Amino acid sequence: MLELEAVTKRFGGLTAVKDVSLRAAPGEILGIIGPNGAGKTTLFNVISGFYAPNTGTVRLDGRDIGGLAPHHVCALGLTRTFQLVKPFGNLSVLDNVMIGALTRVHAVSAAREAARRVIATCRLEAFAESRARSLPIGLRKRLEVARALATQPRLLLLDEVMSGLNPTELVEMIEILRRLHADGLGLIVIEHIMAAMMRLAQRIVVLHHGEKIAEGRPEEISRDPRVVDAYLGEEFVFADA
Amino acid sequence: MKRDVPALVLFGLAALAPLVTRDGFLLDSLILILLWGAVSGAWNVAGGYAGQVSLGHSAFFGLGAYSAALLATRWNQSPWLGLLVGALLATGAGLVIGYLANRLKGPYFGLATIAFSQVLLILASRWRAVTSGSEGIPVPFRPGFATLGFQSKVPWVYLVLTLAVGIYLVARYLETSRPGYQLAGVREDEDAAEALGIPCRRLKVTAVAASAALTSVCGGLWAQYVGFVDPFYVFSVDLSIRFALNSIIGGLGTAIGPFVGSLLITSLEIYLRATFSDFKAGLIGIYLIIYGCLLIVVVRFVPQGLVGWIGERLRAMGRYARA
Repeated sequence: MLELEAVTKRFGGLTAVKDVSLRAAPGEILGIIGPNGAGKTTLFNVISGFYAPNTGTVRLDGRDIGGLAPHHVCALGLTRTFQLVKPFGNLSVLDNVMIGALTRVHAVSAAREAARRVIATCRLEAFAESRARSLPIGLRKRLEVARALATQPRLLLLDEVMSGLNPTELVEMIEILRRLHADGLGLIVIEHIMAAMMRLAQRIVVLHHGEKIAEGRPEEISRDPRVVDAYLGEEFVFADA
Repeated sequence: MKRDVPALVLFGLAALAPLVTRDGFLLDSLILILLWGAVSGAWNVAGGYAGQVSLGHSAFFGLGAYSAALLATRWNQSPWLGLLVGALLATGAGLVIGYLANRLKGPYFGLATIAFSQVLLILASRWRAVTSGSEGIPVPFRPGFATLGFQSKVPWVYLVLTLAVGIYLVARYLETSRPGYQLAGVREDEDAAEALGIPCRRLKVTAVAASAALTSVCGGLWAQYVGFVDPFYVFSVDLSIRFALNSIIGGLGTAIGPFVGSLLITSLEIYLRATFSDFKAGLIGIYLIIYGCLLIVVVRFVPQGLVGWIGERLRAMGRYARA
């Protein structure tokens, strides 16, 4: 269970995240949406340990993790992916995923086997021996998920893993995430593609100018006037929901 | 293992050389090729595997050389103790430099390491009471294995070969072990590695300190072999660049690369020096020009290093043969 209480993160005079509180229950899929610059990625950086919050607390299963180093947060069972994917470009897909697996599985051969299983889950088998930098963006996003998954998290933070995918890849990604959810993994998903978010998330938190302006089930959110205001002129994005 | 075949051939030939020839010049060349390869291999632990490109590794080399020389001359101790003391000092210095690596990236780290080596140069050349200043220190010749004094070059070949194989094995460990893979992650993308649960800072500092300690051992042995320590040589930027270049030309982050680079560069340098030195006084420095041109050609056309390039050719030939 992840709990944020009145978390604020400032950069000089700019308050990127302001007084945000939220909870994610174990095994839940929580969506975070908001216009560009709403503070979604900053919030992820605070949760995953890349930034320390200025005020407020971040608790994972009751333990305060605010200000812990990211590798420490990962060891506690919370792993994040990056919006701008960061593959280990010169290494093979298998090595990429194996480096994630080595965090839990210390023997190299066992980690390689674990990585192969994760690669199968993410349907990357055909590319296991390819260099990560040779993959197109859709597969890189999937690699990003696979690598994070290999660290055996209980809660996975996904930063726009569905943007930039073609329709087929998008369907595959949603399927992969649904299967992970069915296996009991908790997900917090940042996404711009509302259609996908409406189908995937059980609960949605809306950020605007760093503040939480709404929270609720997807169908409530899409009707909330404050949300429609924040996305003024973007109502069409809800059309497919 | 298939990957170790080039190393077996190279080190095997080196081991057989003293059986074939006792020519002092050839054995001296072989010792230098192995020794410069070994130092570059030590540099490669930080520069190639951890991605911390240092241009001041002569600092650690000099620490090793001075430790061995000073303990032998001033305190009449065994050079083996000197190697140990040098390694400890270099580990300490490596921890400081490794800590810097967490603050400074890329070229800034390189500049900081140059500055560090130059500070040690000033210390060694001015602190006359201890180091004899810029006069340097002659290392006394005391025959015997315990004092590392050999009339013949043959024991030196095997001693330096042992060191070279040891450093090669360290590099192979970094290619096949958990810390090695994690270090590769740190080198490729530090944020991603950190997010995947890898303690990046600790790994980087450890790698730089280990690299420093190995470099220092090479420096200590070199001082014993050459018999004289000159601060302006052991702490020079030239030497630091030589360590880096052997690896870059041979292949960054490959176990055999530094030795291939050293084989090429050291033998070329020895050859050019021998050929042009008694040619004409005005041409005494021409080997540097040829050396420089070769570097440009390699860096321009084979930026991945010779080992990587040969590997690609072999794989391409394999595909062609199967087709």
